[in-house]
Amino acid sequence: MIAIVKRVLLTFLLLLLSSLAVFAAIRLSGGDVTAARLPASATAEDRELFREQIGLNKPILTQYVDYLGDVVRGDLGNSLTNNAKISSLAAEKIRNSLILGAAAIVLVFGIGIPLGMMAAFRRNSWLDTSISSASVAGMAIPNFWLALLVVWLFSSTLGWFPSAGQGGIKYLVLPSIVLAAEGIALTVRITRSAMLENLSQDFVRTLRASGLSESRIYFKHVLRSSLLPIISLAGLRVGQIVGYALVVETIFGWPGVGQILVNGVLRRDYPIVQFFSLLLVVVVTLGNLAASIGYTFANPRLRK
Amino acid sequence: MTNESSLLEIKDLSVGLRASNIAYDIVRNVSLTVNRNEILAVVGESGCGKSLTALSVLQLQASPPLFITSGSIMYGGRDLATLSKKEMRIIRGTEIAMIFQDPMSALDPMFTVGTLLTSAVHSHQSVGKDVAEKMALEALADAGIEDPKRRFDEFPFQLSGGVSQRVIIALALVNNPKLVIADEPTTALDVTVQAQILDRLKELKKDRGMSILLITHNLGVVASVADRMAVMYTGEVVETGAVSDVFDKPQHPYTTGLLGAVPRLGGAVSDLTPIIGRVPQPDELPVGCTFVDRCSRAVAQCSSIRPTLQVRGRAEVRCHNPVD
Repeated sequence: MIAIVKRVLLTFLLLLLSSLAVFAAIRLSGGDVTAARLPASATAEDRELFREQIGLNKPILTQYVDYLGDVVRGDLGNSLTNNAKISSLAAEKIRNSLILGAAAIVLVFGIGIPLGMMAAFRRNSWLDTSISSASVAGMAIPNFWLALLVVWLFSSTLGWFPSAGQGGIKYLVLPSIVLAAEGIALTVRITRSAMLENLSQDFVRTLRASGLSESRIYFKHVLRSSLLPIISLAGLRVGQIVGYALVVETIFGWPGVGQILVNGVLRRDYPIVQFFSLLLVVVVTLGNLAASIGYTFANPRLRK
Repeated sequence: MTNESSLLEIKDLSVGLRASNIAYDIVRNVSLTVNRNEILAVVGESGCGKSLTALSVLQLQASPPLFITSGSIMYGGRDLATLSKKEMRIIRGTEIAMIFQDPMSALDPMFTVGTLLTSAVHSHQSVGKDVAEKMALEALADAGIEDPKRRFDEFPFQLSGGVSQRVIIALALVNNPKLVIADEPTTALDVTVQAQILDRLKELKKDRGMSILLITHNLGVVASVADRMAVMYTGEVVETGAVSDVFDKPQHPYTTGLLGAVPRLGGAVSDLTPIIGRVPQPDELPVGCTFVDRCSRAVAQCSSIRPTLQVRGRAEVRCHNPVD
C-alpha cells in the first residue's frame, strides 16, 4: 500500500518536473512564435503586441506558474497557429495514435515472442541463424530509413498498401510495422536468450524425468519463466514506441499525437508542444507502471 | 540369460563426449544390476561417472555432446539405450523415476507443488482433475510430508530444502514407478534431514517393493541404506558386491583407500589414510589400470593391461593384485 502511494506521488513529481523541462526547453530553443500565426507583412509592433497578448513578455517563471494555474483549472489553452482549443482536438489525435500504438504493441509481442521461441527451440539451425540475423538488422536499421524502404517497395513498386494517410486497416499496415520493427527485434532476442537460459535450468531435467513431453515443458514451463524478463522490459518497449511515433506519424502522414507535436515544435506552438509532450510522459509512465504491475502478478515470489 | 530377480541390467555401458574435435568416454564399460526390491548404491568421487551412468539410464544426459557409445540398459525385456524419445518419455516416471541432488533448483519456481504433481500425473494417465489431485496428495503423504493439503498450494520458494526434496520424491512416486534413481538425494541437506530422507527411502523400498539405484559419494549413506554396492573410479566399476562383504573385506586397493579415508568416531584425524595423488582426467587415462599411479600394490602388468571385472570370493573386483 505504502509502495503504491509512493509510486503515485513520484509519478506526480515526475509530471511536474517534465512539464517544467518541456516548458523551458521550447522557450529557450529560439524561433519566432509569430511567424506561423501572423502574415509575413506584419510589422514589428504587431508581432510585439501579439507576444504581449499571449504573455510571452513576462518572466519565464511567471509564465510557468500561470500555465500551471490554467491547467489545474482545466484550461489546456489554444493552439497559437489556428486558435483551436486543445481540449477539443486532443481526443481525435489521441484516438489515432492509440490505434497505431496498439497495433505496434500487438506486433512487438505477437511476432517477437513466437519468433524468439522458434529460434531458441531450433538453436544453431539455419532457422535460428536467420531469425537472429534479422533481429540484428531490425535493431540496426534506423526507422525513418526503414519507412522509406517499405514505402518504396510496398507502395510505389508493388502498390499493395497506401503510402500515407488514414483510412481502413490497409493504411495501418506499413506505419505499424515500421513502428514495431525495433521492438520486435529486441523482443526476439530477449525471448530467445531467456528461453535458452531457462532450458538449461535444473527444473527442466526434473520435468523431463517425470515424463512430461518436450512441447509441454517448452510451452508451459520454460515459456512461463521466460515471460518475466519480457514483461519487465515491456515498459521500455512502450517508451520506444511513443518516441518513434513522432517520426513514423510524420513520415506516413498519420494524424496523431506525434504528427501534431512535431508540427507544433516546428511552428513554436507552445501550448500544443506543452500539452502533447506531457501526454507522452504520461503514456510512458503508465506503460512502465503497467509493466511493473504485470511483473508482480507474473512472479509468484512477489505475488505471495 | 536375464536373471529372474533383476529389474535393471546395465551391461558394458559406455557414455562418451563426442564433438567435432573431442572424443573420449567418461563412463567406461559399466555393468550394474539392480534387483527387485533392492537398494544398489553406486559410490565414488566427483567426476567418476556415477551421475552420468544414472542419467543415461533415462537418457537425461546432455546430448549432444554426451552419447551412449556402447552397451545396453536392459529393463523389462527392452534395451533403454535404443528407445526413441517418445518411448523413453513413457518410461520416465511410470517405470523409472529420478530424484535429484539440489532440491532448491530442481522444482519449477513458477508453479505450485500441486500443479507440478498433477501435471506429472496427467502426462501419463488420462484421469480427472480430482483423481489427479488425490494421487498428488497421496504421493506427498508417502514422501513423508506432514501437511500435504497445505503444501499442495505452495510455491517451491516457500519450502525448506528438506520439504523440497520430499516434494521431489513425491514427484518421483506419483506415477508408481518400479525403480527410483536417486542422484545424491541428501547431499544438499543437513544431517538430520538427511537421515529422515534416507529412512523414507528405505521404507518406500519395504512398503512399495520398489528398487532404488542410489548414487552417492558418502560411504555412511551406503552403509545405512544399501543392500549392495558398486564402487566407481574413472568411469569404471572397480568393485561390486553386498554392502557387508565390501565393507568387511574390501578387495580393490581403491576401495580400501576410500574406507581408510572415512573418519571414525573417537579416532584421531591422524588415523585417516588419504589416497595419494589425484584422479587422472578422462582424456589422459593410463593404458592399463587407471588407479596404477596411486596404488601401493601395483605390479608390472598393472600399467600395461587393463584389468577386467572378475568374480573373487563373494564380490567382483577389477584388479590384478587384489587385497586378500
